[in-house]
Amino acid sequence: MAEHGGGGGCCPPMDLFRSEPMHLVQVIIPIESARLTVSYLGDIGLIQFKDLNAEKSPFQRTYAGQIKRCGELARKLRFFKDQMSKAGVTPSAKFEAKTDFNLDDLEVNLGDLEAELTEINANSEKLQRGYNELVEYKLVLQKAGEFFKAAERSAAAQQRELSSHQAGEESLETPLLKDQESTADQGKQVKLGFLTGLVPKGKAMAFERILFRATRGNVFLRQASLEEAVVDPNSGEKVNRSLLHFYLPCLGECFDIKYPFDVEKNVFAVFFSGERAKSKILKICEAFGANRYSFAEDLCKQAQMITEVSGRLSELKTTIDTGLLHRGNLLETIGKQYEQWNDVVRKEKSIYHTLNMLSIDVTKKCLVGEGWSPVFATQQYKEETPRQITIFCIVDVMFQITICINLMHIKIFCFKIQYALQQATIDSKSQVGAIFQVLHTKELPPTYFRTNKFTDSFQTIVDAYGVAKYQEANPGVYTIVTFPFLFAVMFGDWGHGICILLATLYLIFREKKYSSQKLGDIMEMTFGGRYVILLMSLFSIYTGLIYNEFFSVPFELFSPSAYACRDAACSEATTIGLIKVRDTYPFGVDPAWHGSRSELPFLNSLKMKMSILLGVAQMNLGIILSFFNALHFRNAVNIWFQFIPQMIFLNGLFGYLSLLIIVKWCTGSKADLYHVMIYMFLSPTDDLGENQLFPNQKTIQTHQGESYTALEGTEDSLQVEAGHDPHDHEGFEFSEVFVHQLIHTIEFVLGAVSNTASYLRLWALSLAHSELSTVFYEKVLLLAWGYNNVIILIVGIIVFIFATVGVLLVMETLSAFLHALRLHWVEFQNKFYEGDGYKFAPFSFALLGTEEE
Amino acid sequence: MGFMLTTLIFIVIGMIACLCTRICCNKGPSANLFHLTLVTTATVCCWMMWAIVYLAQMNPLIVPILSEGE
Repeated sequence: MAEHGGGGGCCPPMDLFRSEPMHLVQVIIPIESARLTVSYLGDIGLIQFKDLNAEKSPFQRTYAGQIKRCGELARKLRFFKDQMSKAGVTPSAKFEAKTDFNLDDLEVNLGDLEAELTEINANSEKLQRGYNELVEYKLVLQKAGEFFKAAERSAAAQQRELSSHQAGEESLETPLLKDQESTADQGKQVKLGFLTGLVPKGKAMAFERILFRATRGNVFLRQASLEEAVVDPNSGEKVNRSLLHFYLPCLGECFDIKYPFDVEKNVFAVFFSGERAKSKILKICEAFGANRYSFAEDLCKQAQMITEVSGRLSELKTTIDTGLLHRGNLLETIGKQYEQWNDVVRKEKSIYHTLNMLSIDVTKKCLVGEGWSPVFATQQYKEETPRQITIFCIVDVMFQITICINLMHIKIFCFKIQYALQQATIDSKSQVGAIFQVLHTKELPPTYFRTNKFTDSFQTIVDAYGVAKYQEANPGVYTIVTFPFLFAVMFGDWGHGICILLATLYLIFREKKYSSQKLGDIMEMTFGGRYVILLMSLFSIYTGLIYNEFFSVPFELFSPSAYACRDAACSEATTIGLIKVRDTYPFGVDPAWHGSRSELPFLNSLKMKMSILLGVAQMNLGIILSFFNALHFRNAVNIWFQFIPQMIFLNGLFGYLSLLIIVKWCTGSKADLYHVMIYMFLSPTDDLGENQLFPNQKTIQTHQGESYTALEGTEDSLQVEAGHDPHDHEGFEFSEVFVHQLIHTIEFVLGAVSNTASYLRLWALSLAHSELSTVFYEKVLLLAWGYNNVIILIVGIIVFIFATVGVLLVMETLSAFLHALRLHWVEFQNKFYEGDGYKFAPFSFALLGTEEE
Repeated sequence: MGFMLTTLIFIVIGMIACLCTRICCNKGPSANLFHLTLVTTATVCCWMMWAIVYLAQMNPLIVPILSEGE
């Protein structure tokens, strides 16, 4: 096992190539300045604290009470947010007022506001319920009034009729009785009671039936449905109600029964006689949950009731409105400060979580904290003079300062952490200062790459597979170029490239606006990768020019085509073909190939060979990076027994194939490369005959075959030697290393062939893209053009645009992205990358926002 | 134009790009080396692709056979 921190020495340092040097630091802070210290360290964001209290439960920790407080405040803030969203108030954007918030004051403030808000809510609810009841009552009065008016009119008419026959006086109640006999005997006149109310429409039928059965048909029911919906006082939902009228002259009151929500209701009136019937009806009304309202028979009393109710309604309305206005104002004031409070609470919570990770000293007077931090944060930058640094340290060291002195750019990161500790001691007026020291440890530090917004997205791609081990070579450096390049090899069309370039330029120009907004999932991913897509599009334009495809149409951009007809009449153009008359087309694929019958054999051969060549190049780069890793970690074993055999193996086989390809192209020989490669192993001593590409080829191949078989043998024996070597390492086990090396050898041997073949996906996807593009162009656009009809042309253009955007620009982009990613993650990185480190996650307020979301 | 000539043009363009990056963003030796690596890698990739396509067409074994109807 290699020891980290070897230090290269062979090559000058390069940004992003290896992790920043990290070291373990220990800070001892007095209790009184603890909170402020941690707060300042959170501002810098360059320490990753280790949890020294890991075995304690969350309740046993020192600051559990404070965290509970913060949790309570967070709950109150969530309640406010809920109320604000219900009322439609949006919290105003955060403004950077750096007022120091006292947590106690904030607690009191939030508690007061919460109490006030809940009170307002309860009051308005009560008022609203009363209002709804009054609305229903008013409707009952109106409807019942209509019933009785109609009845009165018919009663008056009947009365006139009757009086024309006899001179008896009857009460106005009798018209509801169709029975003429009762008019003769006033003494036997039965007193009718009525009840009015509202019942849900759905249950109206059942209600009627049960009433009929319960009273044995001795009731009279009148129903009418309400035109407009009524808000149910109980559930607050709008329902259509029907008024249930029960006439009870002995009691002279109406009852209204409440009914649950979202059922349409009917108004109805029930007329009955007798106490028993009345009690039965009341019970049935309760069972059906119908609302009952009292109703006066007297006409003028009715009118009086209506005006009274209307008056109360308008009063209540104004009260409710003022209540809502007050609530709105309160929420607005909360909304102004909401974001700030949210921030403060989150910060405090994180500070106390961090404080919980520090271990408390026996004397309970100070806290001890351990953490990883990059070396540059605790030292001065090596190239500046001390004099300049002390000056600028005093001025402002919380931020990086870039200063132009004598036409040179100097970055100053001096003593950031120490200064923060000092500042906290001063601000908290503590007697004792904090102690800071560096610890030496053999633990593996976290990996930290200092990325900017451009390199960050590429580093994310690499980290998605595995975070680099501390100080190993970072494939991200080369991925920045090779990933978009391999994408472009599979995408190759400069028309599509321009479309994607425009889209991503739009994203980049709107960077500021989009980075502060909250975007959806897909949009966020696209926006985060805008620089990757920018490079992808630029390379796509380049490869599109090389493949000579603009929406699958070739152009003669650089010179006339190299091919022309053999004779003036072009008689043999479709049988034997054209002939090369000029120099090779200087940049890219000759435009004469497109649409020809031999296009595919030529392009397939070209693209396959290109895939192999590019693949061998990238794999060699991977192996060379493993060499640099071995150098850095001073692992000589790896160099002799891993790097050299790998190079010999890969280049002996596929490097040689690449060489043969290039020689065949340069000489134009007709040698069959399959035959050459296969028979190199099967019968190396045979004569090459027509497959000979260069003199002495046979001897070279024989030597290769020999060294090849020897390599297999030596690798096994060399592994045993490798095992004997590093005995003094901690935790070293011979069997473990042996098995590791054996697996590695087998993996490499089998992998070499499969990895090289895997690069053929560059050919496959590029072929698919160009074929799809050709189909859309020829079968949609040209077909539509051929009809000479404007409408068909427009339809054709629209279909072409949708197909291009949907299939080629979206699906093909994702597909090529995925395959280029796979080539990097597997074929490139398995040559050198271990990727079993962990990422540096410092305690930083800036990262808090992204964590919580 | 010739293979060698265009290769030379690629090398010249690469060097100009390196100089431009050095002039525009000069941020210390490690950052400079990083930018240099990126530009060189990009130039090599682009040159390789062009060279492969050019070499493949220098001595062609098959020629375009036009399809009927052209």
